[in-house]
Amino acid sequence: MSTADTGTRTRRTPGLVPVTETLSTVERRPEEPSDRPAPLAPQAGRRAGAFWRLLVSELSLTFHRPRNLAMLAALATVPVIMGVSLRLFAGDDQVGGMIAAVAGNSLMLTFLALSALVLLMMPIAVSVVAGDALAGEAGGGTLRYLLAAPAGRTRLLAVKYLNAVVYAYAVTAVVALSALVTGLVLFPAGDVVLLSGTTVTMTDGLLRIALTVGYVGFALSAVAAVALAISAFTEVPIGAIAGTVVLIIACQVLRAIPALEAIAPYLLPTRFTGFDAVLRSPIDTGALTEGLLTFGAYIVMSLSIAWAHFTGKDVTS
Amino acid sequence: MTTVAQEAGAPTGAAPPSDPGAAIVTSGLTKRFRGGQTAVDALDLTVPRGSVYGFLGPNGSGKTTTIRMLLGLITPTGGTCSLLGLPLALALPRVGALVEGPAFYPYLTGEANLRRFDAADPTASGATVRRRVGEALERVGLTAAAGKRYRNYSLGMRQRLAIAAALLGPRELLILDEPTNGLDPQGTREVRALVKEIAAGGTTVFVSSHLLAEVEQMCTHAAIMRTGRLVADGTIASLSGGLATRVSVETPDAADAARVLAALGLADVRSAAGAVTAELGGHAPERVNAALVGEGVAVRGLAVVRPSLEDVFVGLTGEGFDVDG
Amino acid sequence: MRRGTYVRWGVPIAAAAVIGAAIGAGPVIAAVSGDPVLPERSAQQLLADAAAAAEKSEGMPPMSGTVQQTASLGLPALPDTGDGSPLSLLSGSHEVKLWYGDEDKMRLALPTQFNETNVIVNGDQVWYWDSDSNTATRVKLQGEHPREGLPTAAPTVMTPDQAAQRLLEQVDESTTISVSNTAEVAGRPAYQLTLTPKDPASLVQEVRLAIDGEHYVPLRVQVFAKGSAEPAFQVGFTQLTFTPPAEENFAFTPPAGAKVEEKTFGPSDARQEHAEEARRTAGDLKVRGEGWTAVAVLPADAAMPQGDTDGAPGAPGAPGGEGADARALFDNVLKTATPVSGTWGSGKMIRTKLVTVLLTDDGRLLVGAVTPEEIMKAAGVR
Repeated sequence: MSTADTGTRTRRTPGLVPVTETLSTVERRPEEPSDRPAPLAPQAGRRAGAFWRLLVSELSLTFHRPRNLAMLAALATVPVIMGVSLRLFAGDDQVGGMIAAVAGNSLMLTFLALSALVLLMMPIAVSVVAGDALAGEAGGGTLRYLLAAPAGRTRLLAVKYLNAVVYAYAVTAVVALSALVTGLVLFPAGDVVLLSGTTVTMTDGLLRIALTVGYVGFALSAVAAVALAISAFTEVPIGAIAGTVVLIIACQVLRAIPALEAIAPYLLPTRFTGFDAVLRSPIDTGALTEGLLTFGAYIVMSLSIAWAHFTGKDVTS
Repeated sequence: MTTVAQEAGAPTGAAPPSDPGAAIVTSGLTKRFRGGQTAVDALDLTVPRGSVYGFLGPNGSGKTTTIRMLLGLITPTGGTCSLLGLPLALALPRVGALVEGPAFYPYLTGEANLRRFDAADPTASGATVRRRVGEALERVGLTAAAGKRYRNYSLGMRQRLAIAAALLGPRELLILDEPTNGLDPQGTREVRALVKEIAAGGTTVFVSSHLLAEVEQMCTHAAIMRTGRLVADGTIASLSGGLATRVSVETPDAADAARVLAALGLADVRSAAGAVTAELGGHAPERVNAALVGEGVAVRGLAVVRPSLEDVFVGLTGEGFDVDG
Repeated sequence: MRRGTYVRWGVPIAAAAVIGAAIGAGPVIAAVSGDPVLPERSAQQLLADAAAAAEKSEGMPPMSGTVQQTASLGLPALPDTGDGSPLSLLSGSHEVKLWYGDEDKMRLALPTQFNETNVIVNGDQVWYWDSDSNTATRVKLQGEHPREGLPTAAPTVMTPDQAAQRLLEQVDESTTISVSNTAEVAGRPAYQLTLTPKDPASLVQEVRLAIDGEHYVPLRVQVFAKGSAEPAFQVGFTQLTFTPPAEENFAFTPPAGAKVEEKTFGPSDARQEHAEEARRTAGDLKVRGEGWTAVAVLPADAAMPQGDTDGAPGAPGAPGGEGADARALFDNVLKTATPVSGTWGSGKMIRTKLVTVLLTDDGRLLVGAVTPEEIMKAAGVR
């Protein structure tokens, strides 16, 4: 390599002052032989914790950003509002189903809140973070410095996605916790009546909430993957965010058209509320598995598309 | 080996060279964008180690596209390029770069911004980041503004922070794209001094600019780009050496002066009203003056005119240079 | 330096292929790779085997599974009747979970979004649980065997067993029957009986009945309309295991806070009224023709709230349902009806893939799985 380079240089610039004659090179020259093994060593220079260091940096960026924290706070207030209004107005006998169940048991507010927020609000919050992930860096120009650092494109994509997944689970946990606390304050605690009419203990109920958080978090991780894929294609973060949200709303609309019932099971939002399977006796593992497989398929597809595009993309911003 | 050197070494000192060859080599490097526009056309460039290499050309001549290809931000349509003779992923940690102006997170402080980019480098150590960030900030004179949010930085401070980011680790090569953009004269002088200091430490500096004066003052070598093509390259001396130093005589006796100069053996004697110029060649200017005075030519003024890069550029392209950007 | 574009995009394409294969090609692969694991049987042998097996085990073996019902009758868009309404079964696809211990132990659950309707039979106790209204209804079936009571008590979907029985009654000289031993339903090898009506006036192309190769339990019924590759109506298991279900499926205690009601005969007052109404209607019901081309004739005003006939084979026999829903559906459907007239008079006709309905101006309602010509012929018979 070096021979070829020297040859090229000699050929191209015959009249140049040789490199060896510049002052700094002369000074540096004697060191070179002892440093010759250096090209073989750099692989060792890659530090074991480097991936986590970048992930921690990414997480700290995400969780220190006022916008992202404001979204978490806004989501946390919704279950409180729901709980209080149910407490005030759910007195009459006309209500049935989940609303009546919430009035009867504190844990049910968590399921009600998640089922209401998972349709649009929580996906929007996740889209903001995941849609901004690459497009925001590209738009702000920081992407070129990250890549020149070098963050590595595949590595950066992985970190961006894991960061969005953590945020997705944070969103889910915040809503679940807020609803749980609100429920415990406002409604009677105790045994939980499932949709099947079966009664289970409160501990069992809490376990089912944990299952639900896992499921909803995974659902939002699929949203994050879609948003990240869109984010890889644009330099306008608001475009990636809006694109994802419009996609989710479009799916919700398609889902409501009876003639398109055949494609509904393959649409992401159809599976969002699939966690009602944990409220049955026995738990409908089939429905849960179908939901998780659907999310998994969306994650694999979106991430592979994002990877294929992003690793070959010309970064001109 | 590298690891040890990085931990022990000063943050802005030269890293041990990974390859004795050139710092940057491109061969037939070409980039055509989708629109069919050829931004860089078969560029062959060799940047010797230890040089301060000026990459000169008007805006839009393909300088930034070339730099983006060098850093792996853009895939070349054709040809190859290599940094430090290493695969890109191994070379980049040894390369500090400033590409097309500063870009940072506006809601983070200067210090937090540097930490962020340091975290992206898989070879950088989290244990030494505080010290290295501190030293880089000090190097560019931003220590006092380290805790200030980037959005409150002035243009000059932003530029300096970008240079600090390029100096976070021990670098073998610095690629600086228009480093003095947006700086006031004082800032420009500081950057020039910094570049000279870094180069004195053994680091190769590749600096792009559309300002001829800047390159002439800072660089040992230069390449001149025009519409994606390499027009000329070499040491500053050899580039301007292509044009002869001339002597210009201010006199009312132009005809006599021309005759004397020709008699002395000076080539390319041109006379105009009130002035005569000729290639100085190997003649000493004082002897030329003595000869003129001895022959009774009334010399009102005599000047030795050295050719500038601008003359080189005009000579090579037949066009003026966009000096003011 | 970097992987080529084609190689990179190969990754998502491969991922899409794998996912696509997992979604769509699963049954195809099974069909291609599957040598028949079942011995060949003629239709007669099969029916005899099935009858013998049914006699021996006195009904179905213990099992649990998921039954899916899909209807694509080609009806105009239905008004939103809600998930739980029986009328919603006329379009789209619906799932019922089934746990079957023995004759005395059975649970049917209709899961819908954040709701569930259950029918639980345990010995002489029959519970109907509706989570939406938070109501547990204890049903007393005086003098009746619970199993006979169930099909009407669970009006939502027929089990494959019930649907198959209904179909087998139709089998006579009017039908060509063939058997294949390569079908697979819910992952189980099955025999498939194909019944093809001989009468060209029938809208039914064929009816396919899949019977489990081991237990001779009907696994799936599909009704194909003429000129359609997809079944117009289908009910079958999508998942099934022949293991006795856990006991707690059959143990129902009304949860605290639930309304508990007690009913005799029917699960609720409303349903009981409907049952009585249906009985009254049945008195007015006349049938023209027989077999595949039977046409039911009934007074329009009596028929309207139900919109149901027994004369249409394979039609979702869902008696009852909320009266308002039915009225809304009927009005909606009527808007799309085409006016027709003939020697028999005039009226409005509604055509679907499988069923033709004629509402004559003199107040008769004719329903049958027959061509419009046939139904007008029936209208001419007074």
